[in-house]
Amino acid sequence: MRKLCKSLGSVLLAIALMMCVGGSGALGAPSSKVVVDQWEIPFLNCLTGPIASIGEYMAWSAHRAADEINQKGGVKGKPIKIVDLDTGVSPEKAIEQMAKIVNKSLVALGPVPEACIMAAMPLAVKNGLLCMIASTTYEYQSQFFPYAVAWDSGSDKTLPPVLAGWAQRNPGMKRVVQFVERWACWPGMADAHAAGLASVGVKTVEIEVPTDAVTFGPLVVRALAQKPDGFVLTCTSEKAAKIIIELEKYGWTDKSKIIVFSSADDMPLYTTGREKLNGVYIYSYLDSQMETERWVSFKEAYKRAHGGMEPVSLSTVYYDCVYMIKEALENTPVTGDPKKLKEERTMIREYIRNIQNFEGVQLTWSMKDGVPTDKGTFLFIIKDGAKQYVDYFKPWK
Amino acid sequence: MEIFVAQLLNGLSLGSIYVLLVLGFNLMLVVAKIIQFAYPHLVVLSMYVCWGMLKYTNNMFLVVLASIVSCVIVNVAIEPIFRALSKKHGLDINVSFVVSISIALLITDVMSHALNYGFPIAFPTDWVGKSVLNFGLITFSVGQAYALIGGIAAVALFFYLLYRTRQGRVFRALSENSVLASIIGIPVVKTRILSYAIAGLLGGVTAVLFARLLGSASPSLGDFVAMKVVAVSILAGLGNLKGGLVCGLLLGIAESLAMGYLPGSWSNAIAFMMILIIMLIKPEGLFGIQI
Amino acid sequence: MSPVIYYFLSFTAINILMCWAFYLPYRVGQLHHLVVSCMMASAYFSGYAARQWSWPFALTLLVGTAIGMLICLLPSFAIGDAPCFTVVIVGLTVLFIMKTAIENTRALGGTLGFFGIPQVNNLLLLAYLCLAVAGLLIYRIDNSRLGRAASMVFVDRDAASALGVDVKRLGMLFQIIAGGLAGLAGSLYAFLIGSLFPEFFNLGVIGTLMCMLFAGGHSTMWGVVISVPVFEGLHLILPTAVASWLQVIYAVTLIVVILVLPGGLITKKMLVKVGERFRARPQTVSIKGGIKE
Repeated sequence: MRKLCKSLGSVLLAIALMMCVGGSGALGAPSSKVVVDQWEIPFLNCLTGPIASIGEYMAWSAHRAADEINQKGGVKGKPIKIVDLDTGVSPEKAIEQMAKIVNKSLVALGPVPEACIMAAMPLAVKNGLLCMIASTTYEYQSQFFPYAVAWDSGSDKTLPPVLAGWAQRNPGMKRVVQFVERWACWPGMADAHAAGLASVGVKTVEIEVPTDAVTFGPLVVRALAQKPDGFVLTCTSEKAAKIIIELEKYGWTDKSKIIVFSSADDMPLYTTGREKLNGVYIYSYLDSQMETERWVSFKEAYKRAHGGMEPVSLSTVYYDCVYMIKEALENTPVTGDPKKLKEERTMIREYIRNIQNFEGVQLTWSMKDGVPTDKGTFLFIIKDGAKQYVDYFKPWK
Repeated sequence: MEIFVAQLLNGLSLGSIYVLLVLGFNLMLVVAKIIQFAYPHLVVLSMYVCWGMLKYTNNMFLVVLASIVSCVIVNVAIEPIFRALSKKHGLDINVSFVVSISIALLITDVMSHALNYGFPIAFPTDWVGKSVLNFGLITFSVGQAYALIGGIAAVALFFYLLYRTRQGRVFRALSENSVLASIIGIPVVKTRILSYAIAGLLGGVTAVLFARLLGSASPSLGDFVAMKVVAVSILAGLGNLKGGLVCGLLLGIAESLAMGYLPGSWSNAIAFMMILIIMLIKPEGLFGIQI
Repeated sequence: MSPVIYYFLSFTAINILMCWAFYLPYRVGQLHHLVVSCMMASAYFSGYAARQWSWPFALTLLVGTAIGMLICLLPSFAIGDAPCFTVVIVGLTVLFIMKTAIENTRALGGTLGFFGIPQVNNLLLLAYLCLAVAGLLIYRIDNSRLGRAASMVFVDRDAASALGVDVKRLGMLFQIIAGGLAGLAGSLYAFLIGSLFPEFFNLGVIGTLMCMLFAGGHSTMWGVVISVPVFEGLHLILPTAVASWLQVIYAVTLIVVILVLPGGLITKKMLVKVGERFRARPQTVSIKGGIKE
């Protein structure tokens, strides 16, 4: 009897232990011992050269996310360290920086910008390293699937609804001039704008903005000669601001019939355009007037670090990337063991590619095979140098 | 016709700025025998000084003074580098070109690293100003008027200095033959330094006029303009001051007309094709080399 | 081999080829920026031929080299003996024209770029093989009548002409060979990176190559063999905080080198001295006319 009781007791104990182990597995992260002292996440970023200012705020946001995570105890008890690697705007530097990390990193941030993406990503793909190239569009990211994830669902799906929405707010528009700077994916975005406008019966005429243009009067004269009802600006932020100033100089007063595209939602637009932007529409992926605690905290810290400047679209993408990586590290049995590099890379990649209900600093979204399923675009109107929310558009299916 | 006149006015105001830049550039070329590729970069740096000064005072005189003084100081500070080069290499303008590219790189990188977080700077919107002339599409702003009138005045003064004063004769003598100039007692080094100072002065004035015309500046502006200045100088004939004057103005007008009329995405290529054809037919430039 | 060393060595080989493409026309005093256009055209051609028509690597390399030579051949009729800065402007204008053409060609990816160029095995080895062949060719040219004529043209164009040197034909020949070298470099570049973007070929490339040539020494082909690995490797070894000022470091280094060592790190004079030191005993050989060597 005593033997039976002992056996029964042992069985019950074993069952209880198994339940504990199983339960813990069901409740949180799969238990596995982390072998690294810190989670090093390399960031291939443009810290020098003509667009170093953009690289600076992207680096700032990644470091901000890492600091927040580390203050709360890190990931699996280990801190996150963002390792900045400068790509300049040089393809050679980018590929050599990628070569430094391609055999040892679990996941990477960047490269930035497009020239560096084109140069360095084939090496990442060859070695199976997931790179979060969040600063560009689907058109680039999708070329490197499954070793990249998209931050939007494609210009041809995301942008037309916004442009159509803007046109519907300005009834009577039949013909608009679109200023297009031919750089990277921008011509594709311009085509998507035109498709959106065509869907509501508005015709688009394109005028190219030369990259090295110094003054914009001649382009504006040419545009006004077309007798348009409105304007779409698909060019850099500084050029967009200057075109708007010139339009006013040539007597165009209805600012609501001007829309600026998302890539121009950058500081130079506001510092150059100032009060001349009042009434202009702009679409973007970030609502700076949002009042959630997390966003206000981010925004205030950003402004303190940048002489009072407001954050823009690209200033948050790598903040979200770091949190996405954190979630992947927490919810997969990743240890950082170099011997398991290949399989752990796969775990992180597959987790991120199909992440569910990820809570970004502003939006919450899910991904299917690396493409966001429900991420839309905000439409704003600019008033007194700030964007006022107008509407939110889901992408076309 | 209305569109053509509007584009012509745009071209004239832009062309007057190019003329000023080409004059400063050519002055150093003929007197000091250097290709100062970084000259437009210095002008952009002076625009930054101008912008910095505007943060402290609205006094126009002080702003212009700051711009001129900064451009003169930096340009004269560069002179010893080129003087040392000239001692080591003789008068090799190819080497001076390479060194000035390095200086341009240095200035651009400092601007994109250390000034205004690398973001473009913007001048008060009233600097560009409202239209002083408004007739349909034919519009002329205060900034354009400043650029055109200021440009004409500066060019007139420059040519007066060069062709009607004793110092001008000294400059011309040095450009013709520096050895002979030295034999007849012209202080070569002092005159070269003076040419840098005058080019700096022109640069400072250009910076203010440019700021009034454009309303903003960015670290990459120097590169955009430098290419055009070098192209104009070569197209006119290296060191040809009068040729530079004509070609600078023509470039401004041609650029406006190209942006206004040439077909979309090929406009740049067509403009470059025209330059290429001229260079292939007349490799010495339209007005001939004068160094 | 670690990927860092692999790419460092590969880019070093390609950049030495490109520097030699700059070096050769500079022997007659011409800054031949057209070679960057040759590199661009050849890279896009090789990438397209390999991806779309499945051309073998060797064939694309040959045709790429020929394309480079052809691009230099046509303008060389006009600028074979043109002043240095005319050659500069012709080079830059062709670069802009070519860039616009590629940006407007959908088959080449337009502004978006060209993806998916197939990988090649043993590319590094092949690159160094090409480099050795190119080096041998330039060495032979440098130490031939052509090389001596070029030195004469560099010092005094009029005197060279008076002594019977056909300056135009010499300039044309050097420009065409330089185009071939750049075409070869372009093909290798396309296969090394695996994708192409119009912005890869910009003024920055010209600036970097000129820095490498002038810092290494423009009077001999060996200068760039030293300067290219140094410039290529600098950003790999410098700490990030310092590396972010790399452009400034490049610029200051170049200015200092040119001021302190006018001919660059390696000069012809220096090579002669080194050669003499390595000889066991300086031999005195009398040649025609009683001049001793």
